Amino acid sequence: MTSANQEPAKVVFNGISKSFGRKGESLRVLEDINLEVQDGEFICLLGPSGCGKSTLLNIVAGFEESDAGSVTIDGEIVAGPNPQRVFVFQEYGIFPWASVWDNVALGLRHLSEQERAKIVEATISMVGLSGFEAAYPMELSGGMKQRVEVARALAVSPDVIYMDEPFGALDSLTRLGMRAEIVRIWQQEKKTILFVTHDVDESIQLADRIVVLTERPGRIADIVEVGLEHPRDLGSGEYGAIKNRLYDLLGVAHTI
Amino acid sequence: MTWVFIAMIVLAAAGVKLQDSLRDSLRPLVAPLCVAMIGVGLWGLAVIWTGSRVFPGPLQTCLGLAELIESERLWGDIIASLFRVTWGFFLAASVGIPLGLVVGWNMRVFTAMNPIIQGLRPISPIAWIPIAILWFGIGDGAGIFLIFLSAFFPIAVGTTAAVRNISLVHQRSAENFGLAGLELFRRVVFPAAMPQIITSLRIALGVAWLVIVAAEMVGMDSGLGYLINDARNAGSRYDLVVATMVVIGMIGIVLDLLIRQLERFDEVRWGYEKR
Repeated sequence: MTSANQEPAKVVFNGISKSFGRKGESLRVLEDINLEVQDGEFICLLGPSGCGKSTLLNIVAGFEESDAGSVTIDGEIVAGPNPQRVFVFQEYGIFPWASVWDNVALGLRHLSEQERAKIVEATISMVGLSGFEAAYPMELSGGMKQRVEVARALAVSPDVIYMDEPFGALDSLTRLGMRAEIVRIWQQEKKTILFVTHDVDESIQLADRIVVLTERPGRIADIVEVGLEHPRDLGSGEYGAIKNRLYDLLGVAHTI
Repeated sequence: MTWVFIAMIVLAAAGVKLQDSLRDSLRPLVAPLCVAMIGVGLWGLAVIWTGSRVFPGPLQTCLGLAELIESERLWGDIIASLFRVTWGFFLAASVGIPLGLVVGWNMRVFTAMNPIIQGLRPISPIAWIPIAILWFGIGDGAGIFLIFLSAFFPIAVGTTAAVRNISLVHQRSAENFGLAGLELFRRVVFPAAMPQIITSLRIALGVAWLVIVAAEMVGMDSGLGYLINDARNAGSRYDLVVATMVVIGMIGIVLDLLIRQLERFDEVRWGYEKR
Protein backbone atom coordinates (compact mmCIF):
# COMPACT_ATOMS: atom_id res chain seq x y z
CA MET A 1 0.00 0.00 0.00
CA THR A 2 2.95 2.38 -0.03
CA SER A 3 2.99 4.95 -2.76
CA ALA A 4 6.38 4.12 -4.18
CA ASN A 5 6.73 2.17 -7.45
CA GLN A 6 2.97 2.04 -8.04
CA GLU A 7 0.61 3.81 -10.39
CA PRO A 8 0.02 7.48 -9.49
CA ALA A 9 -2.11 8.15 -6.41
CA LYS A 10 -5.87 8.62 -6.82
CA VAL A 11 -6.31 11.51 -4.39
CA VAL A 12 -3.47 13.85 -3.46
CA PHE A 13 -3.62 16.50 -0.72
CA ASN A 14 -0.97 19.17 -1.37
CA GLY A 15 -0.22 21.27 1.70
CA ILE A 16 -3.80 22.09 2.68
CA SER A 17 -4.31 24.84 5.25
CA LYS A 18 -7.50 26.48 6.39
CA SER A 19 -8.52 29.19 8.88
CA PHE A 20 -11.91 30.44 9.93
CA GLY A 21 -12.61 34.02 10.94
CA ARG A 22 -14.32 34.23 14.29
CA LYS A 23 -15.10 37.51 16.06
CA GLY A 24 -12.39 39.27 14.08
CA GLU A 25 -9.80 36.68 15.04
CA SER A 26 -8.61 34.06 12.68
CA LEU A 27 -8.82 30.49 13.92
CA ARG A 28 -6.43 28.05 12.29
CA VAL A 29 -8.11 24.65 11.83
CA LEU A 30 -5.89 22.82 9.34
CA GLU A 31 -2.17 23.15 8.83
CA ASP A 32 -0.19 21.79 5.91
CA ILE A 33 -1.94 18.50 5.27
CA ASN A 34 -0.12 16.28 2.78
CA LEU A 35 -1.48 12.85 1.89
CA GLU A 36 -1.64 10.43 -1.00
CA VAL A 37 -4.53 8.00 -1.30
CA GLN A 38 -4.35 5.03 -3.67
CA ASP A 39 -7.20 3.90 -5.88
CA GLY A 40 -9.51 1.53 -4.00
CA GLU A 41 -8.02 2.34 -0.63
CA PHE A 42 -10.10 2.71 2.53
CA ILE A 43 -8.72 5.66 4.53
CA CYS A 44 -9.95 6.80 7.92
CA LEU A 45 -9.29 10.35 9.08
CA LEU A 46 -9.18 10.00 12.86
CA GLY A 47 -8.96 12.87 15.30
CA PRO A 48 -10.52 14.54 18.32
CA SER A 49 -13.62 16.72 17.96
CA GLY A 50 -12.86 20.08 16.43
CA CYS A 51 -9.55 19.03 14.85
CA GLY A 52 -10.76 20.02 11.40
CA LYS A 53 -11.24 16.53 9.97
CA SER A 54 -14.73 17.30 8.69
CA THR A 55 -13.47 20.57 7.22
CA LEU A 56 -10.74 18.62 5.47
CA LEU A 57 -13.29 16.23 3.99
CA ASN A 58 -15.47 19.15 2.86
CA ILE A 59 -12.45 20.68 1.13
CA VAL A 60 -11.61 17.41 -0.64
CA ALA A 61 -15.24 17.08 -1.72
CA GLY A 62 -15.23 20.62 -3.12
CA PHE A 63 -17.83 22.09 -0.72
CA GLU A 64 -15.31 24.42 0.91
CA GLU A 65 -12.14 26.09 -0.31
CA SER A 66 -8.77 25.82 1.34
CA ASP A 67 -6.69 28.93 2.08
CA ALA A 68 -3.53 27.30 0.84
CA GLY A 69 -2.71 24.11 -1.01
CA SER A 70 -4.88 22.05 -3.31
CA VAL A 71 -6.43 18.64 -3.80
CA THR A 72 -5.99 16.71 -7.02
CA ILE A 73 -7.98 13.66 -8.02
CA ASP A 74 -6.68 11.69 -11.00
CA GLY A 75 -4.29 14.59 -11.56
CA GLU A 76 -7.03 17.21 -11.78
CA ILE A 77 -7.46 19.98 -9.22
CA VAL A 78 -10.76 19.81 -7.32
CA ALA A 79 -12.76 22.99 -7.96
CA GLY A 80 -16.17 21.93 -6.75
CA PRO A 81 -18.42 18.97 -6.01
CA ASN A 82 -18.66 16.30 -8.68
CA PRO A 83 -21.34 13.63 -9.20
CA GLN A 84 -18.60 11.00 -9.56
CA ARG A 85 -17.48 11.58 -5.98
CA VAL A 86 -20.31 11.24 -3.55
CA PHE A 87 -20.56 12.56 -0.01
CA VAL A 88 -22.39 10.63 2.70
CA PHE A 89 -23.46 13.03 5.44
CA GLN A 90 -23.67 12.46 9.15
CA GLU A 91 -27.11 13.99 9.44
CA TYR A 92 -29.20 12.36 6.82
CA GLY A 93 -28.58 14.01 3.48
CA ILE A 94 -31.31 12.01 1.79
CA PHE A 95 -34.46 13.91 0.86
CA PRO A 96 -37.35 13.36 3.29
CA TRP A 97 -39.86 14.43 0.63
CA ALA A 98 -38.90 11.62 -1.73
CA SER A 99 -39.44 7.86 -1.50
CA VAL A 100 -36.52 5.46 -1.00
CA TRP A 101 -36.67 4.66 -4.70
CA ASP A 102 -36.57 8.31 -5.79
CA ASN A 103 -33.73 9.06 -3.38
CA VAL A 104 -31.58 6.25 -4.72
CA ALA A 105 -32.40 7.28 -8.30
CA LEU A 106 -31.25 10.88 -7.70
CA GLY A 107 -27.91 10.53 -9.47
CA LEU A 108 -29.29 8.46 -12.35
CA ARG A 109 -31.41 11.13 -14.00
CA HIS A 110 -29.58 10.93 -17.32
CA LEU A 111 -30.30 7.20 -17.81
CA SER A 112 -33.26 5.62 -19.56
CA GLU A 113 -36.17 4.49 -17.41
CA GLN A 114 -35.17 0.83 -17.83
CA GLU A 115 -31.49 1.19 -16.99
CA ARG A 116 -32.36 3.38 -14.03
CA ALA A 117 -34.83 0.84 -12.65
CA LYS A 118 -32.27 -1.95 -12.96
CA ILE A 119 -29.57 -0.06 -11.05
CA VAL A 120 -31.92 1.29 -8.38
CA GLU A 121 -33.34 -2.15 -7.74
CA ALA A 122 -29.90 -3.77 -7.53
CA THR A 123 -28.51 -1.07 -5.23
CA ILE A 124 -31.50 -1.14 -2.89
CA SER A 125 -31.13 -4.88 -2.63
CA MET A 126 -27.37 -4.55 -2.01
CA VAL A 127 -27.98 -2.44 1.10
CA GLY A 128 -30.75 -4.79 2.23
CA LEU A 129 -33.75 -2.51 1.76
CA SER A 130 -35.76 -4.52 -0.75
CA GLY A 131 -39.44 -4.10 -0.03
CA PHE A 132 -38.99 -0.53 1.21
CA GLU A 133 -38.80 1.14 -2.19
CA ALA A 134 -42.03 3.09 -1.72
CA ALA A 135 -41.34 4.07 1.90
CA TYR A 136 -40.50 7.62 2.91
CA PRO A 137 -37.45 8.33 5.10
CA MET A 138 -39.55 9.32 8.12
CA GLU A 139 -40.98 5.81 8.15
CA LEU A 140 -37.48 4.29 8.44
CA SER A 141 -35.12 3.81 11.39
CA GLY A 142 -31.86 5.76 11.59
CA GLY A 143 -29.86 2.79 10.34
CA MET A 144 -32.17 2.28 7.38
CA LYS A 145 -31.97 5.97 6.46
CA GLN A 146 -28.21 5.72 6.42
CA ARG A 147 -28.47 2.64 4.18
CA VAL A 148 -30.58 4.68 1.77
CA GLU A 149 -27.90 7.34 1.72
CA VAL A 150 -25.18 4.75 1.09
CA ALA A 151 -27.33 3.29 -1.70
CA ARG A 152 -27.82 6.75 -3.21
CA ALA A 153 -24.04 7.11 -3.30
CA LEU A 154 -23.34 3.61 -4.67
CA ALA A 155 -25.99 3.88 -7.38
CA VAL A 156 -23.93 6.34 -9.42
CA SER A 157 -20.97 3.95 -9.22
CA PRO A 158 -18.72 6.71 -7.90
CA ASP A 159 -14.93 6.88 -8.05
CA VAL A 160 -14.59 8.08 -4.50
CA ILE A 161 -16.96 8.03 -1.53
CA TYR A 162 -16.60 10.56 1.28
CA MET A 163 -18.17 9.65 4.60
CA ASP A 164 -18.38 12.19 7.42
CA GLU A 165 -19.07 10.22 10.61
CA PRO A 166 -21.92 8.52 8.77
CA PHE A 167 -22.85 6.26 11.67
CA GLY A 168 -22.42 8.84 14.41
CA ALA A 169 -26.15 9.25 15.00
CA LEU A 170 -26.84 5.50 15.27
CA ASP A 171 -26.98 3.33 18.38
CA SER A 172 -23.87 1.24 19.01
CA LEU A 173 -25.28 -2.11 17.86
CA THR A 174 -26.66 -0.70 14.61
CA ARG A 175 -23.32 1.04 14.14
CA LEU A 176 -21.45 -2.28 14.36
CA GLY A 177 -23.81 -3.80 11.80
CA MET A 178 -23.36 -0.86 9.45
CA ARG A 179 -19.57 -1.13 9.67
CA ALA A 180 -19.68 -4.81 8.68
CA GLU A 181 -21.99 -3.80 5.85
CA ILE A 182 -19.74 -1.04 4.58
CA VAL A 183 -16.71 -3.38 4.63
CA ARG A 184 -18.68 -5.97 2.68
CA ILE A 185 -19.77 -3.41 0.09
CA TRP A 186 -16.27 -1.93 -0.13
CA GLN A 187 -14.76 -5.37 -0.76
CA GLN A 188 -17.35 -5.99 -3.44
CA GLU A 189 -17.11 -2.61 -5.19
CA LYS A 190 -13.49 -1.59 -4.49
CA LYS A 191 -14.24 2.13 -4.26
CA THR A 192 -11.82 4.60 -2.77
CA ILE A 193 -13.31 5.63 0.58
CA LEU A 194 -12.33 8.58 2.77
CA PHE A 195 -14.03 8.12 6.11
CA VAL A 196 -13.99 10.69 8.92
CA THR A 197 -14.44 9.44 12.48
CA HIS A 198 -13.46 10.22 16.05
CA ASP A 199 -14.03 6.59 17.04
CA VAL A 200 -10.76 4.65 17.44
CA ASP A 201 -12.40 1.23 17.13
CA GLU A 202 -14.35 2.26 14.07
CA SER A 203 -11.16 3.32 12.31
CA ILE A 204 -9.36 0.03 13.10
CA GLN A 205 -12.32 -2.04 12.00
CA LEU A 206 -12.64 -0.28 8.66
CA ALA A 207 -9.46 1.28 7.36
CA ASP A 208 -6.46 0.15 5.34
CA ARG A 209 -4.64 3.16 6.72
CA ILE A 210 -5.58 5.51 9.54
CA VAL A 211 -4.56 9.15 9.23
CA VAL A 212 -4.35 10.51 12.78
CA LEU A 213 -4.88 14.26 13.14
CA THR A 214 -3.76 16.38 16.07
CA GLU A 215 -5.92 18.77 18.02
CA ARG A 216 -6.56 22.18 16.47
CA PRO A 217 -4.86 23.27 14.34
CA GLY A 218 -5.14 19.84 12.74
CA ARG A 219 -1.89 18.40 11.48
CA ILE A 220 -1.10 14.82 10.53
CA ALA A 221 0.33 13.22 13.66
CA ASP A 222 1.04 9.93 11.91
CA ILE A 223 -0.37 7.46 9.45
CA VAL A 224 -1.01 3.99 10.86
CA GLU A 225 -1.21 0.94 8.58
CA VAL A 226 -3.75 -1.54 9.85
CA GLY A 227 -2.64 -4.52 7.75
CA LEU A 228 -5.28 -6.93 9.12
CA GLU A 229 -7.36 -9.13 6.84
CA HIS A 230 -11.15 -8.74 6.83
CA PRO A 231 -13.05 -10.02 8.73
CA ARG A 232 -11.04 -8.57 11.58
CA ASP A 233 -10.84 -10.18 14.99
CA LEU A 234 -11.59 -7.43 17.50
CA GLY A 235 -9.99 -9.49 20.29
CA SER A 236 -6.67 -10.20 18.61
CA GLY A 237 -3.32 -8.96 19.89
CA GLU A 238 -2.58 -6.97 16.73
CA TYR A 239 -5.88 -5.18 17.08
CA GLY A 240 -5.03 -4.23 20.65
CA ALA A 241 -1.55 -3.08 19.65
CA ILE A 242 -2.94 -0.76 16.95
CA LYS A 243 -5.46 0.55 19.41
CA ASN A 244 -2.73 1.39 21.93
CA ARG A 245 -0.69 3.07 19.23
CA LEU A 246 -3.68 5.24 18.24
CA TYR A 247 -4.41 6.16 21.85
CA ASP A 248 -0.77 7.21 22.21
CA LEU A 249 -0.97 9.37 19.10
CA LEU A 250 -4.20 10.98 20.28
CA GLY A 251 -2.69 11.55 23.72
CA VAL A 252 -5.39 9.64 25.59
CA ALA A 253 -4.94 7.29 28.55
CA HIS A 254 -5.18 3.54 27.85
CA THR A 255 -6.98 2.79 31.06
CA ILE A 256 -10.01 4.21 32.81
CA MET B 1 -93.81 10.27 20.02
CA THR B 2 -93.76 6.49 19.51
CA TRP B 3 -91.22 6.92 16.76
CA VAL B 4 -88.97 8.89 19.02
CA PHE B 5 -89.30 6.18 21.61
CA ILE B 6 -88.41 3.41 19.15
CA ALA B 7 -85.49 5.43 17.83
CA MET B 8 -84.19 5.87 21.35
CA ILE B 9 -84.35 2.12 21.99
CA VAL B 10 -82.53 1.35 18.75
CA LEU B 11 -79.88 3.93 19.55
CA ALA B 12 -79.47 2.58 23.08
CA ALA B 13 -79.10 -0.97 21.74
CA ALA B 14 -76.54 0.14 19.20
CA GLY B 15 -74.89 2.16 21.91
CA VAL B 16 -74.27 -0.92 24.05
CA LYS B 17 -72.44 -2.59 21.19
CA LEU B 18 -70.50 0.43 20.09
CA GLN B 19 -70.01 1.72 23.58
CA ASP B 20 -66.30 1.02 23.91
CA SER B 21 -65.13 2.35 20.57
CA LEU B 22 -67.63 5.19 20.70
CA ARG B 23 -66.59 6.21 24.15
CA ASP B 24 -63.00 6.36 23.04
CA SER B 25 -63.75 8.48 20.01
CA LEU B 26 -66.10 10.83 21.85
CA ARG B 27 -63.96 11.34 24.92
CA PRO B 28 -61.89 14.22 23.49
CA LEU B 29 -65.16 16.05 22.73
CA VAL B 30 -66.45 16.02 26.30
CA ALA B 31 -64.28 18.76 27.78
CA PRO B 32 -64.64 21.30 24.96
CA LEU B 33 -68.41 20.71 24.84
CA CYS B 34 -68.65 21.37 28.58
CA VAL B 35 -66.68 24.60 28.24
CA ALA B 36 -68.83 25.69 25.29
CA MET B 37 -72.03 24.96 27.21
CA ILE B 38 -70.82 26.92 30.22
CA GLY B 39 -69.93 29.82 27.91
CA VAL B 40 -73.32 29.81 26.24
CA GLY B 41 -75.00 29.56 29.65
CA LEU B 42 -73.10 32.56 31.00
CA TRP B 43 -73.95 34.51 27.85
CA GLY B 44 -77.67 33.76 28.30
CA LEU B 45 -77.53 34.66 32.00
CA ALA B 46 -75.71 37.92 31.28
CA VAL B 47 -78.39 38.97 28.78
CA ILE B 48 -81.20 38.18 31.25
CA TRP B 49 -79.33 39.84 34.11
CA THR B 50 -78.69 43.12 32.31
CA GLY B 51 -82.18 43.12 30.86
CA SER B 52 -80.82 44.10 27.47
CA ARG B 53 -83.43 44.56 24.76
CA VAL B 54 -80.93 44.93 21.95
CA PHE B 55 -78.27 42.36 22.62
CA PRO B 56 -79.49 38.82 21.73
CA GLY B 57 -79.22 35.76 23.96
CA PRO B 58 -78.34 32.30 22.62
CA LEU B 59 -81.94 31.45 21.78
CA GLN B 60 -82.57 34.69 19.87
CA THR B 61 -79.33 34.11 18.00
CA CYS B 62 -80.48 30.63 17.00
CA LEU B 63 -83.80 32.06 15.84
CA GLY B 64 -81.92 34.74 13.95
CA LEU B 65 -79.82 32.07 12.31
CA ALA B 66 -82.96 30.19 11.29
CA GLU B 67 -84.44 33.41 9.87
CA LEU B 68 -81.26 34.04 7.86
CA ILE B 69 -81.21 30.52 6.48
CA GLU B 70 -84.86 30.75 5.51
CA SER B 71 -84.50 34.17 3.92
CA GLU B 72 -82.05 32.69 1.37
CA ARG B 73 -80.20 35.93 1.41
CA LEU B 74 -77.53 34.31 3.61
CA TRP B 75 -76.43 31.94 0.83
CA GLY B 76 -75.93 34.76 -1.62
CA ASP B 77 -73.78 36.64 0.87
CA ILE B 78 -71.75 33.53 1.76
CA ILE B 79 -71.10 32.89 -1.93
CA ALA B 80 -70.12 36.55 -2.48
CA SER B 81 -67.59 36.42 0.37
CA LEU B 82 -66.19 33.03 -0.62
CA PHE B 83 -65.93 34.10 -4.26
CA ARG B 84 -63.74 37.10 -3.37
CA VAL B 85 -61.62 35.11 -0.92
CA THR B 86 -61.09 32.24 -3.35
CA TRP B 87 -59.99 34.43 -6.24
CA GLY B 88 -57.87 36.76 -4.14
CA PHE B 89 -56.24 33.81 -2.37
CA PHE B 90 -55.43 31.90 -5.55
CA LEU B 91 -54.01 34.99 -7.23
CA ALA B 92 -51.89 35.67 -4.14
CA ALA B 93 -50.62 32.07 -4.06
CA SER B 94 -49.83 31.99 -7.76
CA VAL B 95 -47.78 35.18 -7.49
CA GLY B 96 -46.48 34.81 -3.94
CA ILE B 97 -45.11 31.25 -4.11
CA PRO B 98 -42.97 31.66 -7.27
CA LEU B 99 -41.78 35.08 -6.10
CA GLY B 100 -40.92 33.74 -2.64
CA LEU B 101 -38.98 30.83 -4.17
CA VAL B 102 -36.86 33.15 -6.28
CA VAL B 103 -36.36 35.78 -3.56
CA GLY B 104 -35.43 33.09 -1.04
CA TRP B 105 -33.00 31.31 -3.33
CA ASN B 106 -31.20 34.17 -5.06
CA MET B 107 -29.27 36.44 -2.71
CA ARG B 108 -29.21 39.35 -5.17
CA VAL B 109 -32.94 39.23 -5.78
CA PHE B 110 -33.40 38.98 -2.02
CA THR B 111 -31.31 42.10 -1.40
CA ALA B 112 -33.28 43.98 -4.04
CA MET B 113 -36.80 42.84 -3.14
CA ASN B 114 -36.85 42.16 0.57
CA PRO B 115 -36.83 45.79 1.79
CA ILE B 116 -39.82 46.61 -0.42
CA ILE B 117 -41.75 43.54 0.71
CA GLN B 118 -40.94 44.23 4.35
CA GLY B 119 -41.93 47.89 3.90
CA LEU B 120 -45.34 47.13 2.39
CA ARG B 121 -46.12 44.19 4.64
CA PRO B 122 -47.00 46.12 7.84
CA ILE B 123 -49.64 48.21 6.05
CA SER B 124 -52.99 46.73 7.01
CA PRO B 125 -55.06 45.63 4.03
CA ILE B 126 -57.87 47.68 5.60
CA ALA B 127 -55.83 50.83 4.93
CA TRP B 128 -55.92 49.94 1.23
CA ILE B 129 -59.74 50.02 1.07
CA PRO B 130 -60.03 53.61 -0.26
CA ILE B 131 -57.47 52.86 -2.96
CA ALA B 132 -59.17 49.56 -3.80
CA ILE B 133 -62.46 51.39 -4.29
CA LEU B 134 -60.75 54.12 -6.30
CA TRP B 135 -59.20 51.57 -8.65
CA PHE B 136 -61.92 48.93 -8.84
CA GLY B 137 -65.12 50.63 -7.67
CA ILE B 138 -67.60 49.08 -5.23
CA GLY B 139 -67.79 45.34 -5.94
CA ASP B 140 -65.92 42.10 -6.44
CA GLY B 141 -62.83 43.68 -8.01
CA ALA B 142 -62.03 45.71 -4.90
CA GLY B 143 -62.71 42.69 -2.67
CA ILE B 144 -60.46 40.39 -4.68
CA PHE B 145 -57.73 43.03 -4.70
CA LEU B 146 -57.88 43.43 -0.93
CA ILE B 147 -57.80 39.67 -0.35
CA PHE B 148 -54.90 39.43 -2.74
CA LEU B 149 -53.00 41.97 -0.61
CA SER B 150 -53.95 40.21 2.64
CA ALA B 151 -52.82 36.79 1.45
CA PHE B 152 -49.87 37.81 -0.72
CA PHE B 153 -47.55 39.01 2.04
CA PRO B 154 -47.86 35.99 4.36
CA ILE B 155 -47.38 33.67 1.38
CA ALA B 156 -44.42 35.52 -0.17
CA VAL B 157 -42.65 36.08 3.15
CA GLY B 158 -43.35 32.51 4.34
CA THR B 159 -42.08 31.00 1.10
CA THR B 160 -38.94 33.15 1.20
CA ALA B 161 -38.20 32.04 4.76
CA ALA B 162 -38.91 28.41 3.82
CA VAL B 163 -36.33 28.50 1.04
CA ARG B 164 -33.75 30.20 3.21
CA ASN B 165 -34.26 27.47 5.83
CA ILE B 166 -33.37 24.59 3.51
CA SER B 167 -30.73 22.60 5.35
CA LEU B 168 -27.11 22.86 4.23
CA VAL B 169 -26.94 19.07 3.97
CA HIS B 170 -29.76 19.01 1.42
CA GLN B 171 -28.27 21.91 -0.53
CA ARG B 172 -24.93 20.12 -0.66
CA SER B 173 -26.58 16.85 -1.65
CA ALA B 174 -28.20 18.64 -4.56
CA GLU B 175 -24.89 20.25 -5.50
CA ASN B 176 -23.07 16.93 -5.21
CA PHE B 177 -25.46 15.21 -7.60
CA GLY B 178 -25.18 18.04 -10.09
CA LEU B 179 -28.71 19.46 -9.80
CA ALA B 180 -29.05 22.93 -11.29
CA GLY B 181 -31.60 25.35 -12.71
CA LEU B 182 -35.22 24.28 -12.97
CA GLU B 183 -34.41 20.73 -11.96
CA LEU B 184 -32.89 22.00 -8.71
CA PHE B 185 -36.10 23.91 -8.00
CA ARG B 186 -38.35 21.02 -8.90
CA ARG B 187 -36.45 18.32 -7.02
CA VAL B 188 -35.06 20.17 -4.01
CA VAL B 189 -35.96 23.82 -3.43
CA PHE B 190 -39.71 23.50 -3.94
CA PRO B 191 -40.28 20.20 -2.10
CA ALA B 192 -37.95 21.23 0.75
CA ALA B 193 -39.89 24.46 1.22
CA MET B 194 -43.32 22.87 0.77
CA PRO B 195 -44.25 22.18 4.41
CA GLN B 196 -43.53 25.76 5.41
CA ILE B 197 -45.28 27.06 2.28
CA ILE B 198 -48.40 25.14 3.29
CA THR B 199 -48.21 26.68 6.76
CA SER B 200 -48.00 30.14 5.21
CA LEU B 201 -50.99 29.35 2.98
CA ARG B 202 -52.92 28.39 6.06
CA ILE B 203 -52.03 31.66 7.80
CA ALA B 204 -52.84 33.62 4.65
CA LEU B 205 -56.27 32.04 4.29
CA GLY B 206 -57.02 32.88 7.91
CA VAL B 207 -56.03 36.50 7.39
CA ALA B 208 -58.03 36.66 4.15
CA TRP B 209 -61.15 35.48 5.93
CA LEU B 210 -60.66 38.15 8.61
CA VAL B 211 -60.11 40.92 6.09
CA ILE B 212 -62.98 40.13 3.73
CA VAL B 213 -65.54 40.83 6.48
CA ALA B 214 -64.00 44.23 7.26
CA ALA B 215 -63.73 45.07 3.57
CA GLU B 216 -67.36 44.20 2.94
CA MET B 217 -68.51 46.29 5.89
CA VAL B 218 -66.88 49.38 4.43
CA GLY B 219 -66.61 49.09 0.70
CA MET B 220 -68.99 46.52 -0.74
CA ASP B 221 -72.71 45.95 -1.11
CA SER B 222 -72.86 42.18 -0.60
CA GLY B 223 -71.14 39.48 1.43
CA LEU B 224 -71.19 38.50 5.09
CA GLY B 225 -69.55 41.75 6.23
CA TYR B 226 -72.18 43.75 4.42
CA LEU B 227 -74.87 41.53 5.95
CA ILE B 228 -73.67 42.44 9.45
CA ASN B 229 -73.76 46.16 8.69
CA ASP B 230 -77.11 45.87 6.96
CA ALA B 231 -78.67 43.98 9.89
CA ARG B 232 -77.59 46.70 12.29
CA ASN B 233 -78.68 49.58 10.07
CA ALA B 234 -82.04 47.99 9.28
CA GLY B 235 -83.51 48.36 12.75
CA SER B 236 -80.74 47.20 15.07
CA ARG B 237 -81.26 43.52 14.34
CA TYR B 238 -78.46 42.41 16.63
CA ASP B 239 -79.80 38.86 16.62
CA LEU B 240 -78.92 38.73 12.92
CA VAL B 241 -75.57 40.42 13.59
CA VAL B 242 -74.51 37.76 16.08
CA ALA B 243 -75.99 34.95 13.94
CA THR B 244 -73.87 36.15 11.02
CA MET B 245 -70.82 36.21 13.28
CA VAL B 246 -71.50 32.56 14.14
CA VAL B 247 -71.70 31.73 10.42
CA ILE B 248 -68.40 33.56 9.78
CA GLY B 249 -66.73 31.57 12.55
CA MET B 250 -68.00 28.25 11.27
CA ILE B 251 -66.92 28.93 7.71
CA GLY B 252 -63.50 29.97 9.03
CA ILE B 253 -63.14 26.61 10.78
CA VAL B 254 -64.18 24.74 7.64
CA LEU B 255 -61.68 26.69 5.49
CA ASP B 256 -58.88 25.88 7.91
CA LEU B 257 -59.85 22.20 7.99
CA LEU B 258 -59.85 22.11 4.20
CA ILE B 259 -56.43 23.68 3.79
CA ARG B 260 -54.96 21.47 6.50
CA GLN B 261 -55.65 18.49 4.26
CA LEU B 262 -52.60 19.59 2.29
CA GLU B 263 -50.43 18.64 5.28
CA ARG B 264 -51.32 14.98 4.88
CA PHE B 265 -49.48 14.25 1.64
CA ASP B 266 -46.51 11.88 1.94
CA GLU B 267 -44.26 14.49 0.33
CA VAL B 268 -44.75 17.01 3.14
CA ARG B 269 -45.58 15.00 6.25
CA TRP B 270 -41.90 15.02 7.26
CA GLY B 271 -42.15 18.74 7.84
CA TYR B 272 -44.75 18.50 10.58
CA GLU B 273 -43.71 15.45 12.57
CA LYS B 274 -40.58 15.94 14.69
CA ARG B 275 -38.22 18.31 12.99
